[in-house]
Amino acid sequence: MLDRVREPVQQVAVRPRLIPVLLLKHGVIVRSQLFKVHQVIGNPMSTVERLSQWNADELVVLDISRGEGGHDLRRDDLHQQYVGDSAIDVLREIAKCCFMPLTFGGRIRSLADIEARLVAGADKVAINTAAFDDPALVEAAARRFGVQCIVGSIDALRHDDGRYQAFVDGGRRPTGHDPAAWARELAARGVGEIFLNSIDRDGSGAGYDNELIAHVADAVEIPVVACGGVGRYEHFPTAIEAGAAAAAAANIFHFFELSYSHAKHACLQAGLPMRPVGLGSRFLTREPAYDRVAEDARIARRQTAAAQGGFPAACAEAAPKRRTIRWCVSCVYPSISAAPMEFDDSGVCTGCQMAAVKAAITPAEWAHRRELLRDLIERYRCRDGSRHDVVIAVSGGKDSYFQAHVLKHEFGLNPLLVTYDGNNWTDVGWRNMVRMREAFGVDHVIVRPSVATLKALNRLAFIVMGDMNWHAHVGIMTAPMRVAAMHGIPLVFYGEHGYLDLCGQFSMDDFPEVTYRDRLEHFARGFEWTYFEGRENLRSAELSLWKYPSDQEMFDLDLRGIFLGNYVYWEANEHIKLVCDRYGFEISDTPFDRTYRTMSNLDDMHENGAHDYLKFIKFGYGRATDHACKDIRAGLMSRGQAIELINRYDPVKPNDLARWLDYVGMTEQEFDRIADTFRDPRVWWMERGMWLRQKL
Amino acid sequence: MTLTIIDSGVANLGSVQAALRRIGLPARVATDVDSVRRADALLLPGVGAFARAMAVLNEHGLVDSIRAAAADGVPVMGICLGMQLLAEESEEFGRHEGLGLIPGRVVRLESRQSGERVPNIGWCDVTPALDAILYREVEPGTAFYFVHSYVLECRTLSDVAASIRFGGREVTVAVQRGNIHGAQFHPEKSQDAGLSVLAAFSALARGRSVHA
Repeated sequence: MLDRVREPVQQVAVRPRLIPVLLLKHGVIVRSQLFKVHQVIGNPMSTVERLSQWNADELVVLDISRGEGGHDLRRDDLHQQYVGDSAIDVLREIAKCCFMPLTFGGRIRSLADIEARLVAGADKVAINTAAFDDPALVEAAARRFGVQCIVGSIDALRHDDGRYQAFVDGGRRPTGHDPAAWARELAARGVGEIFLNSIDRDGSGAGYDNELIAHVADAVEIPVVACGGVGRYEHFPTAIEAGAAAAAAANIFHFFELSYSHAKHACLQAGLPMRPVGLGSRFLTREPAYDRVAEDARIARRQTAAAQGGFPAACAEAAPKRRTIRWCVSCVYPSISAAPMEFDDSGVCTGCQMAAVKAAITPAEWAHRRELLRDLIERYRCRDGSRHDVVIAVSGGKDSYFQAHVLKHEFGLNPLLVTYDGNNWTDVGWRNMVRMREAFGVDHVIVRPSVATLKALNRLAFIVMGDMNWHAHVGIMTAPMRVAAMHGIPLVFYGEHGYLDLCGQFSMDDFPEVTYRDRLEHFARGFEWTYFEGRENLRSAELSLWKYPSDQEMFDLDLRGIFLGNYVYWEANEHIKLVCDRYGFEISDTPFDRTYRTMSNLDDMHENGAHDYLKFIKFGYGRATDHACKDIRAGLMSRGQAIELINRYDPVKPNDLARWLDYVGMTEQEFDRIADTFRDPRVWWMERGMWLRQKL
Repeated sequence: MTLTIIDSGVANLGSVQAALRRIGLPARVATDVDSVRRADALLLPGVGAFARAMAVLNEHGLVDSIRAAAADGVPVMGICLGMQLLAEESEEFGRHEGLGLIPGRVVRLESRQSGERVPNIGWCDVTPALDAILYREVEPGTAFYFVHSYVLECRTLSDVAASIRFGGREVTVAVQRGNIHGAQFHPEKSQDAGLSVLAAFSALARGRSVHA
């Protein structure tokens, strides 16, 4: 048949694999540290979709939930939702957008558990604790389902004397087995593959324990998938060189844009015969295609509910048993919130945990971070004067001034400022923004969508997701990246990573960057610009300013969105003095209705006002809670003072609402009734026509 | 045009259905003679053992109706075990009769080189034949995802649609004989490359249903 083939191909029996691992805890993806601290990253589906778009080799999903049910994606203001609340329900949803082999592990105890996971869409199952407690299960499973679909999962700990031991029960129970001997036994009992994780390297970013990998890989004939410790793309090839058939990692894939593609690129550069980098799929577009009929029906249902008073939170079913809300024992953050959050065993939220970590960073460590920033900038700055060095995303607020100060005057860069103009400025906010061009002596691009388009988006987004400021949240995360791509500038600077600061979504050593996934999932709530196409006469052209650079553009330019707060000591209260004295920044003397702080969000009167009021309507808390939590963590306020403040400010209906209603042409009654459809039944209930909520 | 997926009781139907949804091909799952008789196109997925799958098809009386549809020119595609079922016979755990739509037999995969293991699990480079109609958009050397211990050895060379290099020789991993197609790899698990093969089969089936 040789005369019929097109051309000879490179000879590789089976290609080494690069495998992302998702840790699933109560239905959401978490970032893990030492098997103990789990920070919520978000919805598994948006990550799986990205991995499918990037042509990933394989996916491992490990369910590390304790107890049953209880995922927290039941929010009415998000596009991505799914039915049910068990791990199997989540698996079924993942399988719908997963066109690569899928291994599912965690809490598997019986043949029936295995079958349920295979039926729900897994190709293989990973067994850990049960393989130790009930070794006959492995044999029975291999006989019934085939060795190819049974993976033996081993969590190994390196003791101080250098010896290794396998652990079960999420790293808590020692087995007394050497991982290599245990891998041999599992192979003899019929597993087709070993998934090897290092407990002490978990979340460390220090690289794989390559001795452990070689130790186990040398002991067995079956493929070993190595996991644990990757902090840089260059770490991946070392696992394959140590003898693994596949290099796996969890955390790193959540932190950076096109992480999988860049990791693959690093492996190919190292000479490993992996499958090529894939960007973009013929069959899976990055921008979601929405089911127009279903979405029209969803909007109509909400409007009917608003007109007839059919509020989910007012249903009899919304009984006290559904009220599962709790508060952080250290700050005042609620568990049912807009920000993804976890609590430790003593009831302290990840926001407080990470704030403590951040506060403990020494001046020497901050100096080291500046050096890291300097290295990063040196790699990307312009050398021939042909373009700006970096883009800075600025709203004209105090943090914008501070960023421009650091990058222009401390690092000596020639920045291009980019501002999204959502047409909601306060007078002082506008003056501060316009002043930046002269105060810093820089070029400034202001992206200004038409007012007609903005009005339409305000109206639509309020009705669809209970947030009129979709245009602003997405605009701010889009305009600077677009302008950077257009001008061939590879670095874009933002201020702080909001969720790292507020809810401890990442660790300080993760250096998370801007990603399309984060933009779509958190800033856009799953509603991409494509959702609005064809509504209120908006066409693709009117929505152009919300279109994000393509994956190919970003990969070719190596476009990165950096949060300056990861590298530079950030204390908002201290920036004020510097930017007022040196650059003439004006402080607002007008207090906000909904928070006691006066120095934030001057670029958008609704951000602290009507937009924030809707957060209160949905979840029963608002900006005052956000600010009070930060002030408690910074040692500026007691928890008692905070409770008093948030009970005063959180429920206030703000005065800027009148402007908004006039702006979009809506009555206050219409507004209230649509808003009421978004009340979370876990927070709110109705008695004698009055809304009541759980509060501190 | 509706594709009918035959449920042999041992298939990963959910994954196959998700892939078909993704390429925009309406599909329904069936185990009855009537559905097979009326089908515009047939898909025969499968994982597991040959004998058990044939037993399920026989129990439902589907063997003859699949053969009749195939003889009628209805496009048929077998995936993984489903491709092996197209053969005349298999030597997996004894000797078992297949559907006989592709002249050839299913034999155990032999590894001869270091680094090769049976079962062969993972991404292997596939070389399509020049006239392989489902592979026109597949670059030579594109990797597909495999999980198998057996292969279909064709008696007629022109039935071979694609091969991989394994055990020091070319091993057939896709077949094509008139309206009969088979893929040993999992197109539903091979990302874009796999979806494009399913899309090509779908285009073929649509083309026929327009003309019929």
